[in-house]
Formats: sequence, C-alpha cells, structure tokens
Amino acid sequence: MAGTVIGEGLNIEGDLTSEEEVVVQGNLRGKLTTTDAVSVGSSAVVEADVQAQSLTIAGQVTGDVTAAERVDLQAGGRLIGDVKASRLTIADGASFKGNVDMDV
Amino acid sequence: MNDASVIGRGTVVRGNVRGNGNLEILGRVEGDVNVGGEIVLGDEAAVKGNISGASVTVAGAVQGDVRASDAVLLERGARVVGDLTAPRIGVSTGALVRGLVRTDGEPPLAGGRRPAGGMARAPAAFSPRAAAPVRAEPAGDPSDGSGEAAEKPREKAPPPPVVPALAKGAKAKKKKKGD
Repeated sequence: MAGTVIGEGLNIEGDLTSEEEVVVQGNLRGKLTTTDAVSVGSSAVVEADVQAQSLTIAGQVTGDVTAAERVDLQAGGRLIGDVKASRLTIADGASFKGNVDMDV
Repeated sequence: MNDASVIGRGTVVRGNVRGNGNLEILGRVEGDVNVGGEIVLGDEAAVKGNISGASVTVAGAVQGDVRASDAVLLERGARVVGDLTAPRIGVSTGALVRGLVRTDGEPPLAGGRRPAGGMARAPAAFSPRAAAPVRAEPAGDPSDGSGEAAEKPREKAPPPPVVPALAKGAKAKKKKKGD
C-alpha cells in the first residue's frame, strides 16, 4: 500500500512534499516532490512539476518531470513537459510533447 | 482503493485539499481541507487550516476550525485549537480543545431562553458571533434581560472597597483597658 494516495475525486492545489510513495488518481495542481516513486493513474490530472525517484504515468501530466531513476510513460498516458531522467520509456499509444534530457 | 485518499505519514501538503470521497491524514497539511466524505486524522497528523467534511475524526493536532455536517469526534490525544461545529460532537477524555464548541442544527439557545427579547434582538442582528458569548454564560438572570448590557461591565470591575459607615462627627471610642 502506497504511503500517500490522492484518490479519484480529490483535488489538491499546492505543494505536496513527501518521503514515501505517492499515487495520484485525482487532481493535483502545484508541485509534487518525493524521494520515492510516483504513480500517476489513468484518471489523474496533474498540473505540476514532478520530482521523484521514479515516475510512472498513465494519466495526464502537464509540467516538467525529473526522476533520479526512470520515467515510464504508459499507453494512454499523456505528458506535456520536459523530462529529465537517466532512463525513459514511452509506450505505444502514449502522447508526449517536450524535451528529453538523459543526463549523459 | 479508488475512493480512499491517504496523505501519508511522510507527506506534507502546502495548499488546499478539496473533493469527494474519504480522506485519511497521517502527515501534515498546511491549508484548508474540504472533503465530502469522512475525514480521519491520525495521531501524528497535523493540520493548520480549517477542516470540513461529512464527519471528522481527530486523533492528531488541528490549528483551525473543524466543521462537519454529521459529527466531529475528538479522540484521546487530539489537540484542537479552533472552533468545533457539527450536529454531533464527541470529545474523549485526554483530548484538548481550545475554542468554541457548538452543536449546530439545534434551535439557538439564546432565542429560547429570553422570550421577550427587546434587548436581545439588537445584538443578534450583527452576526451569530455576537450571540456566542451570550450562550457561553452560565444559565442565569432571566429576570433582567434589559439591564444585561449595563450589568456586564460592572461584573468585571473589582467590588467597591468596604468602608465602615460612620456618623458625621462620631468619635472613635476608646476601648477600656478592662475589656
């Protein structure tokens, strides 16, 4: 069970800072920072810069994304913003608009 | 799991939280929380802002008003600095409250206690806030509804010093040695 879950139907406007896994199924607007993994569910709408250990996107993310480890953009996921991560996967069926910086 | 939202122990939210469904807060929130369902604050949770939901159960710390459309329950160890408003309010032993506690949805006490209310009506027109101190008073003096405003400041002043009344020109009596 994830440490923090923003359920479907929940809206957060502001900064969310965490030291544990964060699962977003609802809406988040502001900033999301965690030292652990972030999962953006298919029903989620995130308008925020995201900083995480790793990031999985199945919903909508608008904002710059930084992951210490990896970013996975799954089918149906939608990302508008720059990605900074050493590993990145973009699944067939995902939408993505932005720059990629793989930190070589 | 879809409906249940959790703000975990290691999580800090600076901003407002709104929406439907239930919410469990184990971490910190600095902002208002306004949720349609049930809100539970764990014993390590801290919220700095107003909370409102269908029911609110608090075991942690709140700095702000707590309002619920059904019930507010303060468990042992809860610390609330702010007002509580709900049709049902429960406070366990070991819970701390500093603020106005009001069970909403009942007929207002001030209206029922003072039937004529020529005087009571004027302050009531200001706001519910004006009625609050009246409610907090010990249930007394239904007789002098009109003199209440004049009476109040006098209560706070110290009582007048007690001076023995002496007739004019009276002399102090000398006590006899034998007495």
